[in-house]
Amino acid sequence: MDFQGIHDRLKAIRAPGLAGADEPRKPDPKDKKDKGRAGDSFVLVDPERLPEFLEVCRDDERLRFELLVDLSATDPSKDDPNLWIDLALLSVKFRHRLAVKALVPKAKPELPSSVPVHRAAQWHERECAEMFGLVFRGHPDPRHILLPDDWIGYPMRKDYEFPKEYHGISCE
Amino acid sequence: MPILEHSFEENVLTTKVDWLINWARLSSIWPMTFGLACCAIEMMAVGAAHHDIDRFGAGAFRASPRQADLMIVAGTVNFKMAERVKRLYDQMPSPKYVIAMGACATGGGPYYKFGYTVVKGVDRVVPVDVYIAGCPPRPEALLEGLMKLQEKIRRSSVIRKPARTA
Repeated sequence: MDFQGIHDRLKAIRAPGLAGADEPRKPDPKDKKDKGRAGDSFVLVDPERLPEFLEVCRDDERLRFELLVDLSATDPSKDDPNLWIDLALLSVKFRHRLAVKALVPKAKPELPSSVPVHRAAQWHERECAEMFGLVFRGHPDPRHILLPDDWIGYPMRKDYEFPKEYHGISCE
Repeated sequence: MPILEHSFEENVLTTKVDWLINWARLSSIWPMTFGLACCAIEMMAVGAAHHDIDRFGAGAFRASPRQADLMIVAGTVNFKMAERVKRLYDQMPSPKYVIAMGACATGGGPYYKFGYTVVKGVDRVVPVDVYIAGCPPRPEALLEGLMKLQEKIRRSSVIRKPARTA
């Protein structure tokens, strides 16, 4: 199924949390400032209902997105009030893919964990949590995965300040 | 054993003991099996048949710091690893030597500016004897670093202890 077909199917089964879709487009030749949009088509989802959405995508007999390929996050800019959660789903049965995005406000970066639906999300969510300061409610093992346990700050945030020293080792 | 012949007959015993001990040390620098990043691949090449670090008596890569004389820091050291590096260094018996191999171990390398977890030079954690430039260095460069270390050991003395190897 192509992206349009998947989006139509999601609308037809009333996938929980579905909030829209966006597709790449060419720049408007009349408007010189318009640069268009590159990249993949994606569907936008309410982060609070993300696990339900993934469960429906996994179990629907026409979609069967049984594999969570990736779960990561993006901080687009210092001025952006939101963090983006980016997911990639793959259906091994039907050989189609879907990109899913969810906007989480930086003021309260919380969302429910997707581990009950996809166990593959465990390490991805741990990495997102330490790198962006996201809180995945209900994660079974919310430790750091790459950074030391006592690390201060969230390195992938655009407003991150580099440490001056760590355990007596100067970073200057 | 022609190399020791006449050595003890001339009664200049201290220098000759120095010479003998230095010769024994520099001819059997056993490194620790310890690779952190891509430099370790070059280190493996040095250990293999083509470059053959065994020619210098340094081919016995030990799996324990307690049996090793030399720590080749081959790769990027981050803060999480730095504490382990220090601990492994402390576990090595004296006299012990450290080679900082490549740009990362020497001074942070390509991660100097934006590597938030990278130690900007392993000499902030353990004392370094020889630095090797390169990213990664050629196997020949590591061999030259080893020869430099041998020269350094040749100059040292067990009677007047230099501060580094104490």
